[in-house]
Amino acid sequence: MEHKSERAFVRMVGVGHRYDPTPGSPMAVQNIDLDINRHEFVAVVGPSGCGKSTLLRMVSGLLVPSEGEVSVFGKKVNGPRDDVGIVFQKPTLLPWLSVRKNVLFPLKHKFGRYGAQDEKRANELLAMAGLEAFADKMPDELSGGMQQRVGIVRALLLNPDILLMDEPFSALDAMTREQIGFDLLKIWDEQPKTVLFITHSISEAVLLADRVLVMSKRPGSVLDLIDINLPRPRSTKTINDPRFSELTDRIRKHIYEPDAH
Amino acid sequence: MSQTPTEAAARRALLLNLSPWLFFVGLIILWELVCRVFSLPNYVLPAPTAIFSAFFDVEFSRWMMHLWATLRVALMGFALSIVVSIPLAIAMMRSEFLSRTLYPLLVVIQSTPVVAVAPLIIVMMGSDDPSRVLITCLLTFFPLVVSTATGINETPEELIELSRSLDAPTRRETWQIRIPYAIPHIFSGLKVAITLAIIGAVVAEFVAAEEGLGYFIQFSTSFFKIPQAFAGLFFLAGVSLLLFKSVQWTQQIFFAWSLPKKK
Repeated sequence: MEHKSERAFVRMVGVGHRYDPTPGSPMAVQNIDLDINRHEFVAVVGPSGCGKSTLLRMVSGLLVPSEGEVSVFGKKVNGPRDDVGIVFQKPTLLPWLSVRKNVLFPLKHKFGRYGAQDEKRANELLAMAGLEAFADKMPDELSGGMQQRVGIVRALLLNPDILLMDEPFSALDAMTREQIGFDLLKIWDEQPKTVLFITHSISEAVLLADRVLVMSKRPGSVLDLIDINLPRPRSTKTINDPRFSELTDRIRKHIYEPDAH
Repeated sequence: MSQTPTEAAARRALLLNLSPWLFFVGLIILWELVCRVFSLPNYVLPAPTAIFSAFFDVEFSRWMMHLWATLRVALMGFALSIVVSIPLAIAMMRSEFLSRTLYPLLVVIQSTPVVAVAPLIIVMMGSDDPSRVLITCLLTFFPLVVSTATGINETPEELIELSRSLDAPTRRETWQIRIPYAIPHIFSGLKVAITLAIIGAVVAEFVAAEEGLGYFIQFSTSFFKIPQAFAGLFFLAGVSLLLFKSVQWTQQIFFAWSLPKKK
């Protein structure tokens, strides 16, 4: 796939961050240069503690990098921005609200109220995720996979341009995990978003993304940026494609033999 | 005899439900037997039957008068404690300055035996309801502050990030996320506090009172009416249990989501 023709949507230039602001203290991430195009799906893999989540927080504006600059559509990010939707590792639904009210929570929280139009949109989003029958249920009546789908729907409510996903499926069992990955691709197809997807799973990254960013161990920097030229729509058949194992092997080499490069 | 596994499970469940009652009844019977076999005098240990008849020797209206006196103070102290503790915990959570400043004072108040302070309070404020309510409040507010603060601090970090990413006002972060998240902890605190409220009311009556169940027990004891004192004690324990259950029922009815999930 070609990306160079389009203007970068999310741009990171020389981005680095240290949590302890004292000069000379260790960096969590450093020297990150990355351009993400509009509606592109970029996955980030790397060893634990390599600063993947730090990267995601810098795009959301929850964290301002101590070095370099993150910009979205040419505008520098220097505080929380409301055009991003965040999906966390745990569904983090509010246990006292019904599924529909959980989906509407961002509006209720940001503006203090929502209207009939918003409820209609919540219902449509729930239907798209196959959850319309569960709209009035409480979160603890849903399985882990369903709860996480509600979490995704909640992130889509304000129709953000960017969807940030921080290891969203890592708490799920293997089968649910594969299924929800394909569900996510279907949703992404209907509601195209620029996706930054953090994961521990190399095969998940290759299966879902347009490009995979491989990060080194702490301080995290870019080891490789790999185009995933596998045809879409992706399905379980994709896994049997010989290119799939070539790509996962290439990433695995970076993770397990980082000094070979 | 052969049993199907479901029958065995049902019998087991029934036995599990009945066992505390059976144990309680067995204990009473044993108590009665001990009193009769060793012919213990009433002032050493009155028999359950003696306590039972002593209970009915006291007029119903007298019971109600004493009950109302204790209940009134306990509930007012409990309510005052809720009104003080929960906002205090929220304020301390919001401001590190406030929490650093106030926490040592709270610990000092909590570590001072209320029984020792009660007479001073009565001298300073008089032997009326306000001083008794204050004594009760002093005893009950600490567990409430601690449980509320714990609950508020246990709000998942992700939800706070969600709130910040939405750029929502902190007031809504407190009301829509942090306080509801603290509710299970607040109820644990309320359950401790309600039983302490009865203790607080009784302590206050021990110092200076003309009515109340605590006063009734003290008065009966000083006149050597031991079965009557025991009757008052059991009545008091029953009231305390009922109040505890009321807190539990409130949680079950209005905050069912906050209860631990059943398997």
